[in-house]
Amino acid sequence: MRVRLLTWLGLLGTVAIAGIYAAVQRIAVGLAMTNLTSMTPWGAWVAFYIFFVGLSAGAFLLSTLVYVFGMRQFEKVGRDALLTALVSMVVALGFVLMDLGRMDRFWYPLIYWNQTSVLAWEIRFYGLYILLLATELYLSLRVDLVRRATQGGWKGRAAKWLLVGKTEYTDEHEQRDHRRLKVLGTVGIPLAIFGVHGGTGLLFGVVQSRAYWHGALFPVLFVVSALVSGTALLTAIYVIRHRAAGKPVDKSLVAALGQLMTLFLFVELGLEFFAFVVEGLSLEPSVSEVLATMMQSEFSWSFWIVQMFVGAVVPLFLVFFPKTRDTTGGITAAAVCIVLGIIGVRFNIVVPNLIVPVMEGLPWSYYAPTTIEWMSSAGLFSLGLILYTLGVLSLPIDTREISEGGTQSCKTNRPAV
Amino acid sequence: MQEDVGGLGKSMAMDARKVIAGTLSEKTFLARYRRKVRKAFGVDLMPRKLGPGVARAAEKEDREGKGQKKSPRWIMVIDLAKCIGCDTCTVSCKAENRTPPGVSYNVVIEKEIGEYPNTRRQNIPRPCMQCMRPPCAQVCPVGATYKREDGITAIDYDRCIGCRYCMVACPYGARSFDFGQSYDQEMVGFNELQAPEYGVDRGPREQRETPIGNVRKCTFCLHRLGRGEEPACVETCIGDARFFGDINDPDSEVSKMVASPRAFRLKEELGTEPSVYYLL
Repeated sequence: MRVRLLTWLGLLGTVAIAGIYAAVQRIAVGLAMTNLTSMTPWGAWVAFYIFFVGLSAGAFLLSTLVYVFGMRQFEKVGRDALLTALVSMVVALGFVLMDLGRMDRFWYPLIYWNQTSVLAWEIRFYGLYILLLATELYLSLRVDLVRRATQGGWKGRAAKWLLVGKTEYTDEHEQRDHRRLKVLGTVGIPLAIFGVHGGTGLLFGVVQSRAYWHGALFPVLFVVSALVSGTALLTAIYVIRHRAAGKPVDKSLVAALGQLMTLFLFVELGLEFFAFVVEGLSLEPSVSEVLATMMQSEFSWSFWIVQMFVGAVVPLFLVFFPKTRDTTGGITAAAVCIVLGIIGVRFNIVVPNLIVPVMEGLPWSYYAPTTIEWMSSAGLFSLGLILYTLGVLSLPIDTREISEGGTQSCKTNRPAV
Repeated sequence: MQEDVGGLGKSMAMDARKVIAGTLSEKTFLARYRRKVRKAFGVDLMPRKLGPGVARAAEKEDREGKGQKKSPRWIMVIDLAKCIGCDTCTVSCKAENRTPPGVSYNVVIEKEIGEYPNTRRQNIPRPCMQCMRPPCAQVCPVGATYKREDGITAIDYDRCIGCRYCMVACPYGARSFDFGQSYDQEMVGFNELQAPEYGVDRGPREQRETPIGNVRKCTFCLHRLGRGEEPACVETCIGDARFFGDINDPDSEVSKMVASPRAFRLKEELGTEPSVYYLL
């Protein structure tokens, strides 16, 4: 157990060090370390940024099934979802910071506010959202923190420190915290949908000069793909973490998550179908050229192999093929594939549209991330995993076992479903 | 009385020449004539300060349409029939603004239309359109890109965070990111001096210093306008295809050209209202 954990952290640490090296290079030399150009000003970092915002929004929305809608079958991943959402958001902002031409001015958007800019609103929503996630996570943990604080050890001391002097936790306290969680979750739903991830889709949707992005479907597609990736990530994380720790896996929970994930994936594919038909029949060269770049150029592997094959065909096969559909392994593999596929989705949103020249006659661009871009991205991925692992190690992320008094965290405030 | 006035005018004119030549001080001139002028015309030669009367007079003048002058709004007109695609504008722009590799405020989009032997060439010089409704300014999160009263879309280099959202939003591809590259291998002293863009002298070009890490674009050579010169591309155009002027002045050359049926603007359907007009 311990060996496994240390190997895991060692691996992450190594990648993180490579990431730090890349980040130092990038800070010292600037964006010249990337393959970005004035024609393709956004690349891998922006793609990963929207990928992580999506993971966060998806994971958070899943947590509201527990804390707002009282769906007991997902209770075991409620805190996991909040922690994942929080960590993903931190990583997403890490990517934004890496991408800024003037990193030293990262705080300017908070003091200068151009109100017609979606990005300016986004930054504020991200801030609010992170605060909300941290508060929700804390409130959801409190019941078990109190229990831990009595147990001593470093975990006990950490719990005591987090509780800020609170020593007793009655049913009344628990009820109050659940009410608070419900209120925060309810506020969080529109915040996550319209502010955080729909808003991130709006960043692209409002850009009139790029016909492929422009339109109201983009924000909707973003929210749906966020649900897909968030649900898939939580499924994968839940199973892999419990397997690695040698803990039993709740098969019915995995099956329920798998069904949800498949449903979301179908909705996403349906919306993409609409989008591709409209774009495919467009007579506007700027649209059809983007589609051709995505599907028929040297970049098309990202669409056909990553987005479509890994991200849709394989997982749908796994969740419907009789030999794999009811197995935890099959659903987990499908979940991992979906998460990887969504990376392709994000790249295909950002890159092909910036390869095609914005004005006919301007040169076509080319973009593939540099080693520094990949290394720094890997570094931020592992930073996220390190933060998550530390969170799981130091906080009572898993709800109490049923044997321990037969209660689950939301017992006292369960609406009749 | 008439004679008196005539004599007074004549001697004032003589003395005024002396004032211009510097042989007579303005003070002596005023002391000599103020009383006489007041006596003859009933007005003070030099109003001592701006008073209500002065403002009213100016107002009256405005009402009558005299001296009514709106502040200028700069536009550019490019006659495509005269453009030969020599790229002089691009080169002179780079020289004037000392833009680094990868940053070009002006390009000439050269297209060959049709198939041999029925072909023709079309050259479209493309500076920044200085849109009156600029998408770049709309999306900038910090308001670093803004619209000036004279119609120029300006970038506050000291505020830009380098997020490049404006570059994505610009329908004309008119914006470049300054990646910090330099011509110091090709050109001695390239880094020692920068163009005084937006009228600010930033000294030598140094790594991690503004405008490196910022987005840059054509300014209509704002620093040249300030000293009464045309943008470099207009001045150097070999075919005299570029014109520059004030659209608020109905008598200006460009105002008349814009009224021509040959005039059009790029991607007008987007509603960006470019300040660069083309004559087809």
